[in-house]
Amino acid sequence: MRLMFWRKRELDQQKLKEAYFTASQGQLIRARFKGNKTSMVAAWALTIMILTGLFAPFLSPYAPDISGRDKEYENGPPQIPKFWDENGFSWRPFIYATERKRSFETNFRWVITQNRDERRYLQYFVKDWEYSLLDIEWDLPGDTFDVNVQMFTWDRHLFGVDKGGIHIFGTDGTGKDIYSRTLHAIYTSLAVGTLGVLISFVLALIIGGVAGYFGGWIDSVLQMITDAIRTVPPIPLFMALAAFMPDEWSSETRFFFIATILGLIGWPTLARRIRTHLLTERAQEYVLAAQLSGASASHIIRRHLLPSFTSYIIVDLMITFPYVVRSETALSFIGLGLTDPVNSLGSLMQNVSKADVLLNYQWYFIPVIFFIAFVLAFVFVGDGLRDAADPYSKTKK
Amino acid sequence: MGQFIQFTLTRAFMALFTLLTVSLIVFTLMEMVPGNCAERYLAFKNTQGQQITVDDIEAEERRLGLDRPFLIRWASWVGNVFFKGEFGDSCILRLNINQLLSDKYWISLGICLAALILAYLIAIPVGIYSASTPSPVTNNLLRFLSYLGLALPNFLLALIIMLISTVLFGDSLTGLFSKEYRDAAWSLAKFQDFLSRAWLPIFVLGWSATAFAMQTVRALMLDEIGKLYVTAAAARGIYGRRLLWRYPARHAMGPVINSLGFDLNRIFNELPVVALILTLTEAGALLIEALARSNDQQLAGAIIFLLTASIVIVNFVTDVLLALMDPRIRKGLIG
Repeated sequence: MRLMFWRKRELDQQKLKEAYFTASQGQLIRARFKGNKTSMVAAWALTIMILTGLFAPFLSPYAPDISGRDKEYENGPPQIPKFWDENGFSWRPFIYATERKRSFETNFRWVITQNRDERRYLQYFVKDWEYSLLDIEWDLPGDTFDVNVQMFTWDRHLFGVDKGGIHIFGTDGTGKDIYSRTLHAIYTSLAVGTLGVLISFVLALIIGGVAGYFGGWIDSVLQMITDAIRTVPPIPLFMALAAFMPDEWSSETRFFFIATILGLIGWPTLARRIRTHLLTERAQEYVLAAQLSGASASHIIRRHLLPSFTSYIIVDLMITFPYVVRSETALSFIGLGLTDPVNSLGSLMQNVSKADVLLNYQWYFIPVIFFIAFVLAFVFVGDGLRDAADPYSKTKK
Repeated sequence: MGQFIQFTLTRAFMALFTLLTVSLIVFTLMEMVPGNCAERYLAFKNTQGQQITVDDIEAEERRLGLDRPFLIRWASWVGNVFFKGEFGDSCILRLNINQLLSDKYWISLGICLAALILAYLIAIPVGIYSASTPSPVTNNLLRFLSYLGLALPNFLLALIIMLISTVLFGDSLTGLFSKEYRDAAWSLAKFQDFLSRAWLPIFVLGWSATAFAMQTVRALMLDEIGKLYVTAAAARGIYGRRLLWRYPARHAMGPVINSLGFDLNRIFNELPVVALILTLTEAGALLIEALARSNDQQLAGAIIFLLTASIVIVNFVTDVLLALMDPRIRKGLIG
């Protein structure tokens, strides 16, 4: 009996070993990544956040710009839907009706009061402002580059209330819904990050590729230039570049400009990694073996060199992403990046350092939590991927 | 000794090359802004009620030497900066940039260096400790902290500290001096006041650098602790703190010193935004002022150049220090 058990176990192990040795690189990476619990949690959180960003207009009850403002609820505190209160229980969540008053007693400031006797019930799939989930309207310099695509136009929103407004994260000084703005800001951050990372990736691939492939003095010169650019602190440089933007530019043009700048400055670290990787891989035995078997240079690059570092590149892009988002936030925060009609996490936080906000309207800080969660999720996933892509990570840790 | 001199000279040459490249980048940026100094100056005169013609602008351009080719103007700018330490005048403020910057630059640099020192005072012991304890709780906490260094940018940390301190103590802890000392001359009392308020900006500025440095120190220590010479030392009966500090820590410190320049870069990176939030009028807020409000490219270029030059100098000094400490680097065997 015992012997059989052992045999079975041995067989299982052998099967496992076989599976391990015959698995493709992608399967191995996936298996290793799944074994990392924190990264898996982060990956789920990230997926959810990306989805909320993509479906922001559907999930947010009000338009994130000035057209969606609630005049009767400026600087209003968050309204959290409830199921019960002293007046009884309700299956449908509700909030209270609000009223704002200004009189001698309130020192002529607008003061918002809740009326606990009047409930406003949550409605689902309400009709409100119209939006397109795929809405591309780029007014770039030059008419030929203008793009105008609108698809999946709809006017339903996940939730709303029948009368008045619901602001689960409160409103800002002009009555804009902070919840809606936060969701749209996540989308903007994703878009800026993707575009910026792509631009710096292309630059890094070209420059790092040239340096790594040719080596020699070309490599030395390119390295010196890359190092020189790496010493310049990026955010002050961003600021200098962002100051080029004329005020009359539309928000879309500004968006592209910012993303391009972020991409243009982000490439050196990536280029260096690609170059180092190419240099080390080029001297490996398997490349020599391929050369000796008569493989052409293009075959070696396509079949051997590129697959050897695609996983590294994906990981590097994941790691670069939060840096781009972070720089955009810092730029927008000081008013040099994206401005009003475009919501970004930075522009949302522009006014929070005022004493009035610090003392009275702390809900302005809610987007901060989302920013932190967003970047943390990205970093954890990137880190998990790096460990997973590194075939020696198990022996190291 | 000869090798050391050769090493120092190579490094000095590389530093100089970096500075020149950076100056070219900065100067090109300054040039790319629409409009030049002459136009700005005369536009200002125009608002004062004087009639301006195209000839006037051209005459002014000649007077300022703006009609010369780009590379020659760059050379003269670089020459002035390198040999005279002179950045010229700001077009918008029409003030000498050196006068405008001198105090502010030194205070900013002082704060940033203090932030760097504080970052390493925290990071080195914590990193070494966490590398030597097997406790997974400490390690995960540290990993999380160093990720927070990225996810919680310094300016958000500053905002959160301000929020908490406003709610709890009713003071937002901003500014480098309290009211009564703001315009007073430097004295012991003012210095004490400065120290009592400066710790927050210093900590906030160093926050990201601290988080990253902790991770670096820990990783380096983990690499070194597993090596044979540590086991050999342990076999000779050296243990505990003595073992850690004397063997692996000394080896791990090399790359750490090497990364000082990049950490200073990180801190400079945060300076403008943190300065804006904590209303440090003396520090990088001037950069924002120069860029956002007035589009003052001469001033902005000077500031970026000065910041980068400080980093280059720190890099050079750490390189030489490392070579002094480690004969392997001096003799060109590694690094």
